[in-house]
Amino acid sequence: MLRATDASASYGEVAVFRDLSIEVDAGEVLAVIGPSGVGKTTLLRLLALSHEPDDGSVALDGTEAWAVDAAERLALRRRVGFVFQEANLFDASVARNVEYGLRVRRSWADRAGSLFGRSAPDAVHEALDVVGLADETGRHAASLSGGEAQRVSFARALAYEPDALLLDEPTSDLDPRNTAVIEEAIGEARDRGIGVALATHDMHQAERVADRVAVLLDEGITEVGPTERVFEDPADERTRKFISGELVY
Amino acid sequence: MSVPVEPVAQLLPVLLDPAAWPGTSLFGASFRDGYVGSIIAVSLYVSLTAVALSTLISVPAALAIGLADFPGKGFVKSVVNTGMGFPSVVVGLVVLFAVSNQGPLGSLELIFTREAMIMSQFVLATPPITAISLAAVDGVDDGVRDAARALGGTRLDAALVVVKEARYGIATAVLAGFGRAISEVGSVLIVGGNITGADGISKTRTLTTAIQLEARQGQYETAMVLGAVLVALVLTVNAVVVRFGGRGAQG
Repeated sequence: MLRATDASASYGEVAVFRDLSIEVDAGEVLAVIGPSGVGKTTLLRLLALSHEPDDGSVALDGTEAWAVDAAERLALRRRVGFVFQEANLFDASVARNVEYGLRVRRSWADRAGSLFGRSAPDAVHEALDVVGLADETGRHAASLSGGEAQRVSFARALAYEPDALLLDEPTSDLDPRNTAVIEEAIGEARDRGIGVALATHDMHQAERVADRVAVLLDEGITEVGPTERVFEDPADERTRKFISGELVY
Repeated sequence: MSVPVEPVAQLLPVLLDPAAWPGTSLFGASFRDGYVGSIIAVSLYVSLTAVALSTLISVPAALAIGLADFPGKGFVKSVVNTGMGFPSVVVGLVVLFAVSNQGPLGSLELIFTREAMIMSQFVLATPPITAISLAAVDGVDDGVRDAARALGGTRLDAALVVVKEARYGIATAVLAGFGRAISEVGSVLIVGGNITGADGISKTRTLTTAIQLEARQGQYETAMVLGAVLVALVLTVNAVVVRFGGRGAQG
């Protein structure tokens, strides 16, 4: 469904990765694991169609994002959800935050109408229900704890029913309880047929939630495969050393 | 934070009530004759118009500078910040030259008119409104902008999110611009001429130029009354903006 083919990315003269190919299928959770700074976030931004690769292509359902015009690319981009490491909530209520993705997809006339006290759409309540915050629509974002804010951020990406959901270390700053809620929500997204890519440096989390694992090391993916097989019997020596902790970055 | 508007609002009628100032007479005309009211009206008309026009230019300019990356961005910011220190008398001189018979706008016959005063106050208000708005835009976390884009927003949507996040800073910027405009003396004196009609009604006389004239003539009591009106106006506008901002913060 969402595929990067022979993609390369760099910051200035510094290459992040080269000739990387990866695919996220509908209804699966793909964990991208690797040490900090290896390019997991950059890879997700490429898959989110917000950054153009230096070389290679990124396609959603066979449509190459950087071969079409800006309007068509925006339409593709709107089929992908993104949750950042930090919640990045807007200075507004929980409901207004979660509704944002729906609002920008509406016409300007509809948006103007929603300024005057219209209640939040059902999709907002449903998305918040997935993260256990359905009763918190009226709270202001600033009053939320870090864990609650990240759960709202997850609901915000889920509300407009994306085909693919990209999660960039979404639980790295969370306590176990909020982490568990997010992980359950990841499972719910998969059950809805959404293709989920989860960047994480927490290998235990990858084992818990992922159907497949991609290991990103040294400017490229060393191995992709079913979670159990990659952790139990990695085919690549660098992958084995990374998972066993012998490869220290 | 909440600023009480009522006490400030109550101050204005008291100041404008002749019974509250027995014996006070401005240039031989009482409050009731409309002299002070006309000065307030001219001051508000000139300053509010100048600030409104400046806001229309300054906020989009601050957004454009703040959101775009381009060579020389730091230099542009320096120029904008430097503009906050423009001497108002020099601005008045430049505008006077522009609207004088020999100037490029001479054919419009704007000299000693309220429109010329608006021009000079526009020039004076634009740098602080732009600079403070720019600081507010710069202060918005990049993550918020990224989130707006990642959630399917266009560049315009992301810019609107930035405006909303920076709204208190932008309101402060507009307020600062209004404060600079309405309390300014030098340029409006030069380009406006501090003129009243034969009936004593202000044509281009503002609160500040009237205070300057009264103080020069030794009419300190009158100057103090006008000064109090000026302070009350600024406080009222300030209180309204803060209260409006406070309500927005809760929504």
